Amino acid sequence: MSKTDAYNMFEMDGEMDKKKNKKMKKKEKLEGMKKEMDIDDHEITIEELEMRYNTSVTKGLTTTFAQQVLERDGPNELKPPKGTPEYVKFARQLAGGLQCLMWVAAVICFIAFGIELGRGNLTSFDDLYLAITLIAVVVVTGCFGYYQEFKSTNIIASFKNLVPQQALVIRDGKKNEINANQLVVGDLVEIKGGDRVPADIRIITGQACKVDNSSLTGESEPQTRSPECTHENPLETRNIAFFSTTCLEGVATGVIINTGDRTIIGRIASLASGVGNEKTPIAIEIEHFVDIIAGLAIFFGFTFFVVAMFIGYAFLEAMIFFMAIVVAYVPEGLLATVTVCLSLTAKRLARKNCVVKNLEAVETLGSTSVICSDKTGTLTQNRMTVAHLWFDNQIHAADTTEDQSGQSFDQSSETWRSLARVASLCNRAIFKPDQEGVPIPKRLVVGDASETALLKFTELTVGNIMDYRNRFKKVVEVPFNSTNKFQLSIHELEDPLDLRYLLVMKGAPERILERCSTILIKGQELPLDEQWKEAFQTAYMDLGGLGERVLGFCHLYLNEKEFPRGYRFDPDEMNFTTTGLCFAGLISMIDPPRATVPDAVMKCRTAGIRVVMVTGDHPITAKAIAANVGIISEGSETVEDIAERKRIPVEQVNKSDARACVISGGQLKEMSSDDLDDALRNHPEMVFARTSPQQKLIIVESCQRLGSIVAVTGDGVNDSPALKRADIGVAMGIAGSDAAKNAADMILLDDNFASIVTGVEQGRLIFDNLKKSIAYTLTKNIPELTPYLIYITVSVPLPLGCITILFIELATDIFPSVSLAYEKAESDIMHLKPRNPRRDRLVNEALAAYSYFQIGAIQSFAGFTDYFTAMAQEGWFPLLCVGLRSQWEDVHLQDLQDSYGQEWTFSQRLYQEYTCYTVFFVSIEICQISDVLIRKTRRLSVFQQGFFRNRVLVTAIVFQLCLGNLLCYCPGMPNIFNFMPIRVQWWFVPLPYGILIFVYDEIRKLGVRRYPGSWWDQELYY
Amino acid sequence: MATLKEKRTCGQRCEDFGRFIWNSDNGTLMGRTPEKWVYISLYYVAFYVVMTSLFSLAIYVLMYTLCPYAPDYQDRLKSPGVMVWPDTYGEEVIDISYNTSDKKSWMKMSTILHDFLKPYNDTKQLECNKHNCTKGKYFIQKTFSAPDHTKWACPFTQSMLGACSGLEDPTFGYNCSMPCVIIKMNRVIDFFPTNQTDLPPYVNCTILEGHNNVAKIEYFPERGIMDLSYFPYYGNLAQPTYVNPLVGVRFSLVGEKHAKIQCRVVADKISYENYYDPYEGKVTFYLKAVK
Repeated sequence: MSKTDAYNMFEMDGEMDKKKNKKMKKKEKLEGMKKEMDIDDHEITIEELEMRYNTSVTKGLTTTFAQQVLERDGPNELKPPKGTPEYVKFARQLAGGLQCLMWVAAVICFIAFGIELGRGNLTSFDDLYLAITLIAVVVVTGCFGYYQEFKSTNIIASFKNLVPQQALVIRDGKKNEINANQLVVGDLVEIKGGDRVPADIRIITGQACKVDNSSLTGESEPQTRSPECTHENPLETRNIAFFSTTCLEGVATGVIINTGDRTIIGRIASLASGVGNEKTPIAIEIEHFVDIIAGLAIFFGFTFFVVAMFIGYAFLEAMIFFMAIVVAYVPEGLLATVTVCLSLTAKRLARKNCVVKNLEAVETLGSTSVICSDKTGTLTQNRMTVAHLWFDNQIHAADTTEDQSGQSFDQSSETWRSLARVASLCNRAIFKPDQEGVPIPKRLVVGDASETALLKFTELTVGNIMDYRNRFKKVVEVPFNSTNKFQLSIHELEDPLDLRYLLVMKGAPERILERCSTILIKGQELPLDEQWKEAFQTAYMDLGGLGERVLGFCHLYLNEKEFPRGYRFDPDEMNFTTTGLCFAGLISMIDPPRATVPDAVMKCRTAGIRVVMVTGDHPITAKAIAANVGIISEGSETVEDIAERKRIPVEQVNKSDARACVISGGQLKEMSSDDLDDALRNHPEMVFARTSPQQKLIIVESCQRLGSIVAVTGDGVNDSPALKRADIGVAMGIAGSDAAKNAADMILLDDNFASIVTGVEQGRLIFDNLKKSIAYTLTKNIPELTPYLIYITVSVPLPLGCITILFIELATDIFPSVSLAYEKAESDIMHLKPRNPRRDRLVNEALAAYSYFQIGAIQSFAGFTDYFTAMAQEGWFPLLCVGLRSQWEDVHLQDLQDSYGQEWTFSQRLYQEYTCYTVFFVSIEICQISDVLIRKTRRLSVFQQGFFRNRVLVTAIVFQLCLGNLLCYCPGMPNIFNFMPIRVQWWFVPLPYGILIFVYDEIRKLGVRRYPGSWWDQELYY
Repeated sequence: MATLKEKRTCGQRCEDFGRFIWNSDNGTLMGRTPEKWVYISLYYVAFYVVMTSLFSLAIYVLMYTLCPYAPDYQDRLKSPGVMVWPDTYGEEVIDISYNTSDKKSWMKMSTILHDFLKPYNDTKQLECNKHNCTKGKYFIQKTFSAPDHTKWACPFTQSMLGACSGLEDPTFGYNCSMPCVIIKMNRVIDFFPTNQTDLPPYVNCTILEGHNNVAKIEYFPERGIMDLSYFPYYGNLAQPTYVNPLVGVRFSLVGEKHAKIQCRVVADKISYENYYDPYEGKVTFYLKAVK
């Protein structure tokens, strides 16, 4: 694809007016982006490049032309992702499914109130109150949700680094320091060690220039940057340095080929923002459940609207019935409960260093079945560390743990002393000053990754390297270059009487071996014969096979006569012996896994979660780390391994025999999505290496296609599209780039993969507990609904008012339902498989049926028993109540006779009705206490779970009772909230029903435990 | 989640729903096999039978414990309500307005009063309440001395209302500007309106608005007294023939012939200042006569 086409692909299609077209194009654009980046700037010659950008590689652009280009392309900065406006975010909180139903109910209330007002009937403000309460509920829960979201966004905002960056640019042949955002395509810039690359740059000249691409590709090793084009893929070639990567050392000049959003990073960032935000599983669950509730509420409401009309109620009355049924049926408190439960867990996770950006993500981890983990920085420490040594014909393992708590190797050998000396002396890396207090592995170092590793390693094993180096005064040094592939230095000896010089050398093992004629074994110099060479080869292969970078070390005491003190060593001419050296040993380095990772991976496995490694690093390294942390378990083989073991061609291996599979980006490019699905299906242990950001996205999508809920962990910019696409994206807080943090739903502040396991556990727990909370919340909807149904059909005086219902929903029952979030797990949830999002719903039929038609029914009976008791004891026998409604509610009837012949005014009857509300309220409360106790467990007996283990729940029950008493007996309540001070014994009428609920549920649980899989279990276990 | 969220067409949805209704693969009808439907239905039938019988038992026990003569509690009936007849309502308050020249208008009022006074018919009262009550004293009955295990009730006859009885003037004064209203106090079991026996409760009407429009207020019986012998009330099982004592009040309307009147039953145990119950111990109404 030509340059211009590539441009078009990413240009904003402003001129496209028709929205449909725009949408189509946007989709195409996204598809296009998922394919590889198309740039050819690295392949063309310098002259062509100069032509293309109207520039000169010596003088740079002219200032005026640069100005024009700047006006054309805009400043060189990433456009912040289009944030949702705050008011939209808030509005979204107010427009959920249940909220909409409540809006409808409120509107009906207003209409009813309006009509009453229009008729001049000023007595009843209840409808107005109800409408206001409903709106208040929606707004308050909305504010709560919004506040949660706002708070987490703020955490992210604080990560942003706003310091403006400077860049050294050559324009009109003069060097200028300008703000990096003023740079344009064609500018000639200079970068040096420590700089951040200001844009995508085609390197023109470079000296020992190395960049850190880890945030882009995931490679932890520094990458050399030089003028020659080495690969057709722009991400792989050496002559392009990418925007926002860091230049570690050396200097380079280059021509800017892309700026701002058109840089690779910019494209990835826009790719990430182009990927739609996925709905979290819990959001889907709640939506599913809200659909059911809303449907049922409307169904019930409408049915009784019709029934009421049929019976002969006026239209307005029927409308009010409809509204009341909606109010009774919609669990108003549920939204608050769910939000509070989730934020409690979020808080608990935050204490364990997981910051949750999106509340609902808390549960997602619990249902996760696949974790796609980046390697560098997530599974590994993102720090080269000495892992193995080979000397005395033996491989020794070094301590790679972060806190140096591991085992060390035997350091008594004479050979080790020599090897350590070479490693210490032949090393240019130094610690940055003033770090005495910092533990050695954490100290900052100037130097490349492997030298840093060696420096830290020797500092740990030999001690005080700076002083050590001073004792061996350095005379001359030949730095590493790509043709020699070795580095050497010559030192004076520590002993002032020994006038020999010591030559120390390190480099690529095979090159080092070529120059050696002897080998040090147990302090003895032995001739390097074939046998030793073979031993060396085996060791080299072994270490290489572990994915480690191996260096060889050798030394030589220079002949005193030939090279006396004061001899002029010339590093360019190399006027000294560089052959016939004495081989000291091999040291291999790797970016080692974090200590907690293998254990965490193991826990994930027992929890039925598949961990897939997706990295930009090389396959061998990736595989080695995977094997190391347990992603590829012991004894698992790839197809290639089997082929090698059986000595048969790869094609003949039965693919299903191989548990493990390593796929590189190159292979992935050739695979169709079906092939990828097959691979993911057939091999439980997968490693993807050398993957591009787009491929990460494809892998995530493939997993999702197979029905998994995918978590992606990562830190780099290259991970951000996948983080966004995943059901839950987990970014690293310390190592993570802003792009990754922005795209993620969750941030691990301590970068500890093990925190994910905690997250999974909490997520599963909250799913179980939410189930309990919802079951608890749903139950009372039936005793809230039945009074209306009886009221409409049998025409008894209304047993329960709308305001009272709202008090149950929003005051007394909130705390107990939230307290269920503190319930401990019933079984070891980390030994269960992740839930199947298709089968294991949050609210299933069994839960609804059991809550509604069994427990809810018992509660209704309790309420009516108490209602009839209160009525009968005050003079209204049950049979008289039936059909009494029209007289009872007649405002003009002041002498209605009760069963004893006493005469009641309207107000007296009204307060009696309030008494009924209160009595029904108390019945529901008493039954709900029983309900919250039975909801503690779904399978275990409450006695097994412990009555008082959940302190919060006990507090909640006490709180509920106190609040109930306050509502009943606080003076003034009758006329404000329609609560009456009821007789004490009416509190005890529902008690037998409460005990019945408890006993019935214990029997249910017993049946479920005793006969798993039976009819009882199927029908009654929720 | 891609699998869970695929946009499905309406056809697919209908098909899914159809499969839910009847799945021929495993023979399930709405998620259950017919056999399982039978089981679950039986379970629910049994469940509800048990629950209903428990509920019936509870109600039976409740009724069993109730005393048939007096309610357990009279929490709402601390003080009886008072009402006026004719009980014609305006928008919100009682509004007795009539047109003296329109027969239909005042006939409506008198019909209401005639209907209201039917149980108080003299012959009827003397027939069913034969007991000769001692006036000016509470008629306290500890035993069921009346026939059929009941208690005596004192008769209150229409004629006791004198000019407002409707016997002499069947129009109750509604054909002119001297309308009668009848005040009734609600009956409450075992309610004693006063502590002292010497001072019976009486009706006192005051004019709240239109003082100049009312020339004279007359009470029937004398002084608007409700005799103590009508108290206490023992409930409709003990006193099936009991009737509330009534007080007739005649107003002489003059001038604009429009007034707002409050009639209160005065007794030390009858409260009248309950803000939330305008009919407790008193009744307020508009009286208006037009020509």
